[in-house]
Amino acid sequence: MEQELIELKKRALDKISKIADNKSLKELFLDLLGKNGEFTLLIKKLKNLPKDQKPKIGQLTNKVKQEIEQAFIDQENKIDSSSSDQWFDVTTPGIPPVVGHLHPQTQVLVDLIEIFKELGYQVADGPEIETDWYNFGSLNFPKDHPARDTQQSLHLETHGKTSPGEIIMRTQTSAMQVRIMEKTSPPLRIIVPGKTYRYEQVDASHGFEFWQLEGFAIDRNITLTDLFGTINYVLKKIIGENINIRFACTNFPFVEPGVDTYMQCLACSGRGCSFCKKSGWSEIMPAGMIHPNVLTAARIDPVKWQGFAFCIGLSRAVTMRFGMDDLRLLVNPDLRILSQF
Amino acid sequence: MLAPLSWLKDFVKITLPTDDLAWRLTESGLGVESIKKMGGEEILELEITPNRPDLLSIVGIAREIATIENRKINLKSIILPKPVNHLPLKVVNDFTLFARYTALIIDNIKIKPSPKWLHDRLIQLGLRPINNIVDITNYVMFELGIPLHAFDYEEIKGHEINVLKAKGGESFTSVDELRYKLPAGAIIIKDSQRIIDLCGIKGGQNSGIKNSTKTVMIQVTADDPLLIRRASQALSLRSDASTIFERGVDKGGLTYSLKRAAQLIIEHAEGQLASDIIDLSKHQFIPWKLTLSLVKLEKVLGIRIPLKTVLSILTSLSLNPICKGNLITVTIPTYREDLKKEEDLIEEVARVYGYNKFPLTLPSGQIPVKKVAYAKDFREENKVRQFLVAAGYNEIYTYSLVSKNLLIKLNLPDSDVIRIANPVSIEYEYLRPTLVGNILQAIKQNLPYFTDIDLFELGRLYKGIPPNTKEGLSLVIATTKQFEKLKGTVEELLNRLHINHIRFSPLKESAMPKELAFLLLTKTANILARDKEIGFIGEINRTVASNFGLENPPIICQIDFESIQYFCRETQFVPIPSFPALIEDLALIIPPKTYVGQIIEEIKNISPLIQNVALFDYYGNTKTFRLTYQNTTRTLSTQEVKVIREKILYILKSKFRVTLKQ
Repeated sequence: MEQELIELKKRALDKISKIADNKSLKELFLDLLGKNGEFTLLIKKLKNLPKDQKPKIGQLTNKVKQEIEQAFIDQENKIDSSSSDQWFDVTTPGIPPVVGHLHPQTQVLVDLIEIFKELGYQVADGPEIETDWYNFGSLNFPKDHPARDTQQSLHLETHGKTSPGEIIMRTQTSAMQVRIMEKTSPPLRIIVPGKTYRYEQVDASHGFEFWQLEGFAIDRNITLTDLFGTINYVLKKIIGENINIRFACTNFPFVEPGVDTYMQCLACSGRGCSFCKKSGWSEIMPAGMIHPNVLTAARIDPVKWQGFAFCIGLSRAVTMRFGMDDLRLLVNPDLRILSQF
Repeated sequence: MLAPLSWLKDFVKITLPTDDLAWRLTESGLGVESIKKMGGEEILELEITPNRPDLLSIVGIAREIATIENRKINLKSIILPKPVNHLPLKVVNDFTLFARYTALIIDNIKIKPSPKWLHDRLIQLGLRPINNIVDITNYVMFELGIPLHAFDYEEIKGHEINVLKAKGGESFTSVDELRYKLPAGAIIIKDSQRIIDLCGIKGGQNSGIKNSTKTVMIQVTADDPLLIRRASQALSLRSDASTIFERGVDKGGLTYSLKRAAQLIIEHAEGQLASDIIDLSKHQFIPWKLTLSLVKLEKVLGIRIPLKTVLSILTSLSLNPICKGNLITVTIPTYREDLKKEEDLIEEVARVYGYNKFPLTLPSGQIPVKKVAYAKDFREENKVRQFLVAAGYNEIYTYSLVSKNLLIKLNLPDSDVIRIANPVSIEYEYLRPTLVGNILQAIKQNLPYFTDIDLFELGRLYKGIPPNTKEGLSLVIATTKQFEKLKGTVEELLNRLHINHIRFSPLKESAMPKELAFLLLTKTANILARDKEIGFIGEINRTVASNFGLENPPIICQIDFESIQYFCRETQFVPIPSFPALIEDLALIIPPKTYVGQIIEEIKNISPLIQNVALFDYYGNTKTFRLTYQNTTRTLSTQEVKVIREKILYILKSKFRVTLKQ
């Protein structure tokens, strides 16, 4: 009987493996394992065996049955996966949802706000149409001072209602410094993102209308090293850990000591291009310790309080982060640009 | 400012390689923009900040290099020979115009071309050599940063110098033969008859150096910065001299500049002194003292720089520090008028020490929690942006400044629009009163490449008549798809912001405001929240669409963002109902030109048990509404619903002549 079982198994497995459709497979199943199937009939002979052979043959029977059943399952799967009506091409491209794109400037702005919030800064917002006092006078730019030449302003037609140049488009978000300081007493940690305007001819790295993000902190013991640390932290967070930054002294009337931050140009990796004026480095974040005259203009005692201020060229930071070589790309509504973000 | 290295080396030994020198100068505040090569010469191109007029000179730059290299500059004192004769010159100075007036006469000069070395250096600075006398005055100005002017002595009528202000309107011809009408307040010099100098800006043709000139008067003055600046701005005329004067000339250095010029003229024009140095002033211009507290230095910088280093830095800047306890007293040379406050000295120490040696720290104080003035939360803006992007719209940023042409294309009168008095170009002359123009242009720009264009912008609008202006944040959404698509987006947006009681009210013909003149009246609705107008949605009319080159008029929605911020609410959780709702469809026959919105409103107002009314389907005049009845406290009976339904049908019939489709 042992021999019969082994031969049956061998025949069965051979037949199963040659069947190519489910219907024949089902018929074969009945032929073998059905009520009057070959295997079923063979098992019925089990009870005629001598008692001492029963356990051994019984075990073998179970094993053979399991193997045959498994062969049916495997063959069924094999038939299923190769039949054309079940065939599915998973390599067909998916159907994308229609989702728009957030402007790269928004993405960077949102990130910056997030970074500064972590450092305890609050966000403020103010007018773009500004007075000469808040934009220049309160920031230690005296009237008729050559320092004003570095930021020529656009001024509003007022039909003689105010003296010319009194109402201007702000040239810097720093215009918000004294506005906020005179209404909120220190300690302060503030950022002010916004649009600024200059009387300037447009090129790849300059515009007459662009975005800045002003920031300042005032407390009893805020130091120049705190300023350097803040700039370093924020730029690495927003643009990338691997950027190269260096600081230089410069002069802005509303800070003393004055700081300029240079970042190795990412548009050309420091080789020099039209964006960084061939220098390999781009000015990205002017800053400094707030000049005592500014605190005084806001009626804050410069003996008790000190602080720093900085300004991120937001438009420039956006182009740097994404390796764009022209500021004007940010106001270009071409969807072939926008859909990359 | 250009500075040839060989010229700098006349005054200071340079050991650093040029690239390192350039960075060290930049780091310490004298920005090197580039290193130019000309022949065998290296020329630094420098950006001079307005506070440092002393750096508009080779000697000034040499001083900075000396500080970096920690060595002394080599500036020799000049001793002139005694005058051989004394020619007369009467000077009447106004000390409010020239705080100091100095001059010198040199006789028997020979006008000829400059020696080669001088000629070459002027070329390196980008100047055009003229003759030895003019070239020497230019050379000395660039060497020392103190402007000089040479007159033909014989052309000073009456040998008389009168310093005064122009009355305005006088005519003046400059050495380069250009005619100017002088602005009132310009500083001028008159001899006994004529205006011979537009001081600090340009010399006069009548008294200029000619080939026949035999005697020169060299004049070096300390001009009032404000008057020079105003005159130069009024004439739109800048010169190297005016740039120095408006920033403030070194009043203590005038006679040195005069002597240096005389020395060169004697050497290269064979002249002889024909006067003593004339030097008129009311004060002495001598160095002044300033103190620096070491405590304050550390408090501002955040690090303690060793005293020895601080003193060495101040010495390298020629400030002669003397330390007593915690205070250092320094003596400021007259060429450093920018050093006025203790903070200025702190910067001097820090910049020479080197900003890149400082450690990086973060402010250690408590984080301020009090809400500041002008505080703004960007939460709603971000919510709106996120929603619109998810709905398939693309965000754009555009300029706030627009052209008159754009306003005309929008059918908008420019009279109520804020104008820039000094625009960069006519393309950017007005502050936009609406965001619609820019977004229409954006659609036009994308048409060649895309079939469906969905855009939005969140930006400011500007209104009012200066000085009373108002800036408001506004949201504009535009699509090339159909009206219902945009309307659905807007409805869902407002819904997500929990702005309730929204109505879209058809615009009445008489009520079409002129600032919406770009819309198609019959396809425009005002958007109201709690009966307050917050924006509009509508189709651009054909005329305006074709002005923008758009064949198919886009649909536009503009919403005042401050209203969004005002009306939006946080989500208030409502438990899911524990009793079943009853839903039924009503197919109604609606007379033509009946607003479906009004019917839905009407149905909703009939019973508080009507939880929702939706337009489910429509065909011709038949519109099917799906009504959801819901009682939150118990199960509704069919009888109750029947009563409400009958009321609905009754009211709709009497108000709108709407009938139930049988």
